[in-house]
Amino acid sequence: MRIVLLCPSPYSESSCATAVLLSRLGYVPTGALTLPSVERRTLIRKIAQWGVRDVARYAQSKIISRSRMENQLHNPYLQGLLSHGTSIFRNLHEVGSKYGFPVVICKAQNGPDSIAQLSEWSPDLMVFTGGDILRGQLLRIPRLGVINLHLGLLPEIRGMSSPEWSLLTDVPAGVTVHYIDAGIDTGPVLRRCEFPDMANCNSLDDLRNQLIAFGIEKIAEVIAAFGRGTISARAQSELNHDNQYFVIHERLKLLAAQRLQHCQNAAAAVRAHG
Amino acid sequence: MNFSQGDSNGDAKMKRIAKAVGETAGLLRGPQRVFPLLRLLAVDRLRLTFGQHHLYSYTATKRQTSETLQSVLQWILDAQRPDGGIAAYFSLLSGYSESYPEVTGYTIPTLYDCSRLLGRQDAAAAAERATRWLLPLQMPSGAFPAGLHGAGSEASVFNTGQILQGLVCAYRETNRPDLRSAAIAAANWLANVQQPDGSWSGPEAYQGVAHSYYSMVSWALAALSEAVDDDRYGLAAERNLDWVLHHFRPSGWIDGINLRGHPNYLHFIAYILQGVLECAVLRNRKDALRAVEKPSRLLLRKFEINKFLPGAYNPDFKSHDRYACLTGNAQMSAVWLRLFQQTDDLRYLNAALKMNEMLKQVLPLRGPKGIAGGVGGSFPLWGAYQPMRYISWGCKFLADALLLEQKLTQPLEACSCA
Repeated sequence: MRIVLLCPSPYSESSCATAVLLSRLGYVPTGALTLPSVERRTLIRKIAQWGVRDVARYAQSKIISRSRMENQLHNPYLQGLLSHGTSIFRNLHEVGSKYGFPVVICKAQNGPDSIAQLSEWSPDLMVFTGGDILRGQLLRIPRLGVINLHLGLLPEIRGMSSPEWSLLTDVPAGVTVHYIDAGIDTGPVLRRCEFPDMANCNSLDDLRNQLIAFGIEKIAEVIAAFGRGTISARAQSELNHDNQYFVIHERLKLLAAQRLQHCQNAAAAVRAHG
Repeated sequence: MNFSQGDSNGDAKMKRIAKAVGETAGLLRGPQRVFPLLRLLAVDRLRLTFGQHHLYSYTATKRQTSETLQSVLQWILDAQRPDGGIAAYFSLLSGYSESYPEVTGYTIPTLYDCSRLLGRQDAAAAAERATRWLLPLQMPSGAFPAGLHGAGSEASVFNTGQILQGLVCAYRETNRPDLRSAAIAAANWLANVQQPDGSWSGPEAYQGVAHSYYSMVSWALAALSEAVDDDRYGLAAERNLDWVLHHFRPSGWIDGINLRGHPNYLHFIAYILQGVLECAVLRNRKDALRAVEKPSRLLLRKFEINKFLPGAYNPDFKSHDRYACLTGNAQMSAVWLRLFQQTDDLRYLNAALKMNEMLKQVLPLRGPKGIAGGVGGSFPLWGAYQPMRYISWGCKFLADALLLEQKLTQPLEACSCA
């Protein structure tokens, strides 16, 4: 099966981890198409949004993490996948050269150059690990479709900040692997799994990191099932635009963190009594 | 804010040109205004250049809601003339306008709320001065006049309704019988000139035709009905509510704004939503609440995706406008907050918090009186809605939104900490 990865940046840890896991399972990607790590318009927008000082701090933290903290990952739960020998994979180029697949940088995933490259690779399946909103022309290229990992249960929680909204709306935390279609997280569902280990998440970032690691395993399971021909998708039954959520405000994020703490306390109480 | 009455399309255009020329000439009378004008235009130009239209991202805002509230309240207090009336706007070209009865009326509830929540006795005193100023303006019929103070003596449905809001609030606060009588006289007049279909049209309505944003008048009637325990006013409010609901399209768009010579500014769309929503709450009309949710969610979605709401819309919320109507933004924030209160859907609160952050960010906290703490008509300042002006009703609606934010988030955050 010819698999192509669509990635948000060559330095995306989850993209690297997905590529590593698929390669280890014998599904070495045909190629990875990624957006550049720094893009002029994004940089200008970030300066406008955050200010020069915060952008400089962010850039500094990235540079330091690459040079001084060679073996530290933003998401520690990906350590097992990204470790090789005594070092770790820092970018897609390193993963590509290890497992033998090309990494191509594009300006826009829907752009003509990307479409031409993807058509040349002629994939059966594309795995989206982040980037632009995908348009119809791109979605029609792979024979089987484009799949995505969503950090929430579909159809209950669509859109952004899914782990936080799950906590705030009393929907179990979980992940969904689904086809991408023209809507936002509205494509047919391939696998939907509740996250079993909420009690061991000590912060929202920790929950998100654990969900990513959990979800990458589910992507691999879905691809393996594709390989065996044993998977089918089901349309989302409650197609309702009201299930779309947007980026959560910091003050509500604090509320979500409190709910997470409550979950932990409840689990601890159960353990103490059990 | 309504306009003066009886304009045809051509007349409206000529009046706008004359007004712009007259206002620009004001710069000759007050050359000290040139520097702040240039500075503020440069600030908005820079914001647009570096951030495109959605620059004012909430991620960069560090301003406290309470600090902003104090600034906005101070702007309103500064805009109150010695006689008690509140100026409609501060123009960067010509300074403060005449007092405006309509805005003076419906700012009274905001002043009392500020007094209570911020502990500002001067706000309650300002509300009392405003009430005293308004009472002699009431016509023998019970109506209040259109336009700026001294501009004319035509009775106006909309302005009477908006002033009724203030009278009802002042009566609730003080229990004064003269305020009760004035409010009832205004409401009786409104009920008398109401059409059998529930709308208000004819010479007392702006441009002589019925408008769906007169749901704000219904809100005032419903509030009076509750305050004086007389269902006749509530039923009159519901007759208009039914007429307005008839103009809600399945797509969410609302017809019947009917303003010849003016685009459908977000301000007027938000008026419709606020009026219908408050009537729905006061009269326990679930159908009206459901009707408000559709357009409110459409606007929420647009705002969340684009970090920006255009200043005016064509039917079905299509718009290519690149300026924001800040007053409309503040009103939408209040609508979302009230919907959160009614439905417990945190997405409304989420959007309102972001909108308030954005509004706080464009508010000038420094500068001379009339500028510091003022809400511009548009962002950027030269946008089509009330260009080059800081407007009192913008400050009123932002204060309302921030007060409601504080009221709703304090128990939520206290609860989460417990």
